[in-house]
Amino acid sequence: MKTLSELTDFYYNNLFPVLEELEKQRKAIKQKFIFITIVLISSFFTIFLLFFSQNIHTMEFLLTTISITIAILTYIYKKLSSNFVEDFKNNIIGPLIKNIGPNLNYLKNKHVKQNLFERSKIFTSNIDKYEGNDYVYGQVDGVKIELSDICAQKKYQDDNNRKSWETIFEGIFIIAAFNKEFKSNTVILPDHAQNVFGSVVGNWLQANNVSRDSLTKLDDPEFEKEFVVYSQDQIEARYILTHSFMRRILEFQKKSKQKIHISFIKNHIHIAISYNKDLFEPSIFRSLLEYKISMEYVQTLHLCLGVVEELKLNHKLWSKR
Amino acid sequence: MSTSTIILIVTGIVLILIYNSLIHAKNQVDNVFAGVDTILKKRYNLIPNLIASISKYMEHEKLLLNELTKLRSEATKAHLSSDEKVSLDAKFSSTLSSLMVNMEAYPELKADKNIMHLQHTLNEIEEQISAARRAYNQAVTDYNNALEMIPTNILASFLKYRKKELFQIHESERKNVNVKELFNS
Repeated sequence: MKTLSELTDFYYNNLFPVLEELEKQRKAIKQKFIFITIVLISSFFTIFLLFFSQNIHTMEFLLTTISITIAILTYIYKKLSSNFVEDFKNNIIGPLIKNIGPNLNYLKNKHVKQNLFERSKIFTSNIDKYEGNDYVYGQVDGVKIELSDICAQKKYQDDNNRKSWETIFEGIFIIAAFNKEFKSNTVILPDHAQNVFGSVVGNWLQANNVSRDSLTKLDDPEFEKEFVVYSQDQIEARYILTHSFMRRILEFQKKSKQKIHISFIKNHIHIAISYNKDLFEPSIFRSLLEYKISMEYVQTLHLCLGVVEELKLNHKLWSKR
Repeated sequence: MSTSTIILIVTGIVLILIYNSLIHAKNQVDNVFAGVDTILKKRYNLIPNLIASISKYMEHEKLLLNELTKLRSEATKAHLSSDEKVSLDAKFSSTLSSLMVNMEAYPELKADKNIMHLQHTLNEIEEQISAARRAYNQAVTDYNNALEMIPTNILASFLKYRKKELFQIHESERKNVNVKELFNS
């Protein structure tokens, strides 16, 4: 797989002319959107002043007007930027992925299937809304991999029938074939309990977590500080989580700078990286030529597809060759 | 309900909880050891075949091969305690490790497909054994802690529970026997 610097070189050497074209498109859309926004807000404000300002329900009218304006502007923003986003994904993200690995494919409107997300057993809440995009699938160094942006939500309804949504997970979800065979389920989660309640109470809470399998205490203090592990099989969990593999997971987490959840189920590794935002979506308000923005796309893709190399999933055991 | 009755009930509940936690720790050790035993047996079963295959190439290593055969037959005897098995495994692993190192001096072994197959299988079993040892050591550490810590130590000494032996994991063992490296060197 290409290194990060090789990928950055490709981005600037090969994709820069396309980026410049897209940047022109972005500026035009931005101007159009600002013009529409000014016209819309002025019109609503005029209507409000003329017809509703003397009304006894002034505040209600004002709030309704603002809500309607925001809804209309959001719709217009999506409509105006949809072609730009499509072009960006087709001409920038797609080629970037192909450059990382020729055996990778990209489908911008697809995502990892819900049953695979649920199979991972990383999140135990019931999912009421599941959506995603930017689906990448194929092979990296001979290892099957698939990933996409995912947003999974749970619905709540109060006594007055008012709905609210809680986000269970938003970020990148990766599934890859694992290089060892195993029969049981093992889940690695960020260690909140011990960080909040201290090691004694936290450990007791984790050991008595009824929604999870048996607590698995591992012999790497740094790993134990960062993560909590639950497994159906104490031996198999350690067969997967060797000392060197625990180190690699810690390194991967440091690189990602995000919260990560991992599970090992049905001979596959599942990784959920919480970014709490939809990735690979260009904004019309930020320049595409900005270094920070560009590097975010390149680094995120390299990190996610580099998981095979980072965790050495391509180092196959003899029995799996 | 009188105060003395309440104290009695609370004491009873606390005793039950302490007793249950001790039983849980003891059973956990037994459960994990059953897993360790299964994997150790897998390795012991592989040894006769390995010795038969390599003995024709390694005639000068007869002593080592005999030692391995002797340890294997001791380790596979019935009615061994877990502590005895732990101690035999340490001797067996050390002898096997010496054999692996000595195998480097016999390049013709690389050409034998059957030996290569056995070596790879052994390598994978070694990884499983390493995991099993770590799981067992964690269970024994929890159990031994319960035997030393207040208040579980009082009930443990009353029940005549004894501390259990840990598997010795040397630094070299943290890195499993890597046959691939041996053969490529």
